[in-house]
Amino acid sequence: MNEVWKLTTCFGERQRHEDRLLADAVLGTFGEHRLATSLLLRAAAGFGLRHHLRTDETLTMSEDPSMMAVAVDERARLEPVVERVLGIQQRGLVTVERLHHAPDVPDSVEVQLTVHLGRDERIGGGPSYVVVCELLRRHGVAGASVLVGVDGTSRGRRERARFFARNRTVPAMVVAVGSSERVRTVVPELQRLLPEAVVTVERVRICKRDGALLAGPSGVAGPGAWQRLTVYSSEHHLVGGEPLHRAIVRRLRAGDTRGVTVLRGAWGFHGEHAPHGDRFWQLGRRVPVVTTVVDTPDRVARAFVVVDELTVAHGLVTTELVPRAVSPGYSNFGGR
Amino acid sequence: MTLAWVGLAVAGGVGAVLRLLVDGAASRWGSGLPVGTFVVNVSGAFGLGLLDGLALPAHAALVVGTGLVGAYTTFSTWMFETQRLAEERQLLPALGNLVLSVAVGIGAAVLGLWIGGGL
Repeated sequence: MNEVWKLTTCFGERQRHEDRLLADAVLGTFGEHRLATSLLLRAAAGFGLRHHLRTDETLTMSEDPSMMAVAVDERARLEPVVERVLGIQQRGLVTVERLHHAPDVPDSVEVQLTVHLGRDERIGGGPSYVVVCELLRRHGVAGASVLVGVDGTSRGRRERARFFARNRTVPAMVVAVGSSERVRTVVPELQRLLPEAVVTVERVRICKRDGALLAGPSGVAGPGAWQRLTVYSSEHHLVGGEPLHRAIVRRLRAGDTRGVTVLRGAWGFHGEHAPHGDRFWQLGRRVPVVTTVVDTPDRVARAFVVVDELTVAHGLVTTELVPRAVSPGYSNFGGR
Repeated sequence: MTLAWVGLAVAGGVGAVLRLLVDGAASRWGSGLPVGTFVVNVSGAFGLGLLDGLALPAHAALVVGTGLVGAYTTFSTWMFETQRLAEERQLLPALGNLVLSVAVGIGAAVLGLWIGGGL
């Protein structure tokens, strides 16, 4: 299989390109290039270089949320898309990472497994993401979160969510973290259940799990390399009475971290605990939350100190190397 | 009467814009807590108290009271943001948002009425 790339871009929902929203322009580009898989995610909270807080906690501030678009395809197909996105995006953050196709799992390391599927794709009458999570849990994968897209492409076709529709084929992804040995045992069954799904693997380092410090952030890979710090938690994980992800955003915003995005999942699990999502009758939400930071190794190291302090009892913390990160319109951030 | 309807529509528009500005400014300062809605509702209650104290003619009271202050303040956002806090298990801030808004809001209305009556 050829080399697989992942493009991730973060921006504000109200950002525009010419006569339309930037999100629409970016996803339009993905559609024109008929990308294998891509999705647009609306974040629960976040901030960028200017430390301007975007959050769905209050009505006024939820009108311009952070957005994240993720696209995966073969290098030769994704490369021109990266250049086009850098051409239209004036602000935000664009990163490019190298992935492996699922059967090709690297040996004895920790990996992030990503399964791209349809929002309401079904396996045996149930939502496929529930079946996938159950499978991952049975095989001892450390945890998984289901992130639901509002727009995207699937097998080259643009799939956009509509208000009055089932949105069955609108893209979603299951993001799981575990040892490569565990992940390797899941892949054959996963491919049997979802023969057409794009399943990718990337190397990560598990730094913390349920409060236990396992390792420091990933090492420095040379000049120009950035790092991604990810905290997988849940809406019901609190620290000092405050949701963990809110505390992380508040503390990092007070520091020198140059951007955070918080994504709320629809379903997920961690460790031995039963998979969880929202229920019909509830007051407090029970969905998984994924908080990510992308920055230079020294800033990620400082962010890690804060995250380490806050993840006393809960959360799975991972770091990974990001070979290429560009913040358009901000030359000091780093070269291409 | 037609003039009152036009005035109502214009005042409503002005009130909505005013809310967006005041709420936005206060929210940025509150970093996540629903301070914007609190400020809008309390200042609105004070304004309505003041208007009542001034005892304006019926049409003027309609335009400024129902139109301007009505569009400026918001019950729905207050409820919505309280629910959001509860959803995130922030029960103390949620309860505080209800109790403080009622207590300070009534106080502001009384103060407005007292000042308006004295003018």
